[in-house]
Amino acid sequence: MESNGEKPTVVLVDDEEMVITSVRAYLALETDYRVEGFTDPEAAAGFIRQQKYDVIVSDYLMPKMTGIQLLRLAKDAAPEASRILLTGHADKQSAIDAINDVALFQYIEKPWDNTQLLLAIQGGIERARLLRDLRDRMAELASANDSLKDVHRRLIKAFL
Amino acid sequence: MPDHEDIDVLRRQLAEEHKMASLGRLLAGIVHEINTPIGSIFSNNQVVLRSLEMLKNDLEHLTDETVAHARALVSTCHSLAEVDKIACERIGNVIRGLKSFARADSDELHGVDLFEQVSGTLKLVQGEYGRRIVFENLAPPDLPRIECYPGKLNQALLNIIVNAAQAIEDTGKVTISASAGADCIEIRIHDTGKGIPESVRDKIFQSGYTSKPAGQGTGLGLTLSKRIIVDLHGGELDFESRPGEGTTFKIQLPLQQKRP
Repeated sequence: MESNGEKPTVVLVDDEEMVITSVRAYLALETDYRVEGFTDPEAAAGFIRQQKYDVIVSDYLMPKMTGIQLLRLAKDAAPEASRILLTGHADKQSAIDAINDVALFQYIEKPWDNTQLLLAIQGGIERARLLRDLRDRMAELASANDSLKDVHRRLIKAFL
Repeated sequence: MPDHEDIDVLRRQLAEEHKMASLGRLLAGIVHEINTPIGSIFSNNQVVLRSLEMLKNDLEHLTDETVAHARALVSTCHSLAEVDKIACERIGNVIRGLKSFARADSDELHGVDLFEQVSGTLKLVQGEYGRRIVFENLAPPDLPRIECYPGKLNQALLNIIVNAAQAIEDTGKVTISASAGADCIEIRIHDTGKGIPESVRDKIFQSGYTSKPAGQGTGLGLTLSKRIIVDLHGGELDFESRPGEGTTFKIQLPLQQKRP
């Protein structure tokens, strides 16, 4: 799944190093994705503000910042990228907050199933790339429309 | 009029219910603490099985490329085995913490290692409060063994440690230290929380008194802790507090229990 020759980028955020190691090993075995792992949500926030990525998978309970706070930043920085919450803290309110506040793409509970996680990440990448393409096409259309308007204006000017 | 026996039964029921309620409140944290390593172990198991299949394939078609691939697979499996070891230790620690509570109904005295009891109790609160509060166990590992009712003593420690954590509104630290005298051990539980106002200091050991929001406190925690430490073990429970700076609870326990 490559768009413009770029490998999909997945950002993993969990204060538990073991989660990053396990998911990274699985994705390395099954996919060719570029995986950026962070145990510090603030470092992840720095990354997502500056770099292009397709999917962010975040834990919920972390020091300094909750997963919802991080995903809210992610939504502001890159609205078209997909947001997945991977949480062991299965409380209904956090799920509702996540879905409503950060337009969550998927909510996955720990202990997670790799196949389910991979399907969610694949779906997230596809969605992010479609949205990005759509945004680019709309920009192209808007620019073509502007050029047409300009030609129209000049034609009218030439004939009147 | 209920007689003494009825009151005693009610008191025990209340203590048992309080114990279950305090464990229940920690349950979400305990589940989180266990779910993470279990998720990793499951994932790693799948990766290792898949890697073994690939290794088999590499061995059947030996080239420079497959040998390099096989080496990378072995290195991955090695690092995942290390992760599994840490994950199993984490689960084991939480279960050991819980097991010491399962002994709560034992009416027998046991000689216990207080450092281990404190470490086990801290494992239980870590999941719920560990993201915002640092728990430091400064009790020396070579403390003399203490004769006590381990489950009950753990319950008292848990109540006081949870209270300390709840006194901290945002981030902070709970420090547990201990020292041994000739015939007793003193445990100090210090928090960097909001402190106990002067006006309520004489009420905090009273049954039913709580300063916590509804659903967070039963008003029994410190009453039961005092009963366990003072009445059951012949120890002492006291505190020092400075509003805005924190509170230190001091527990003194005899090394040996008096025989009736």
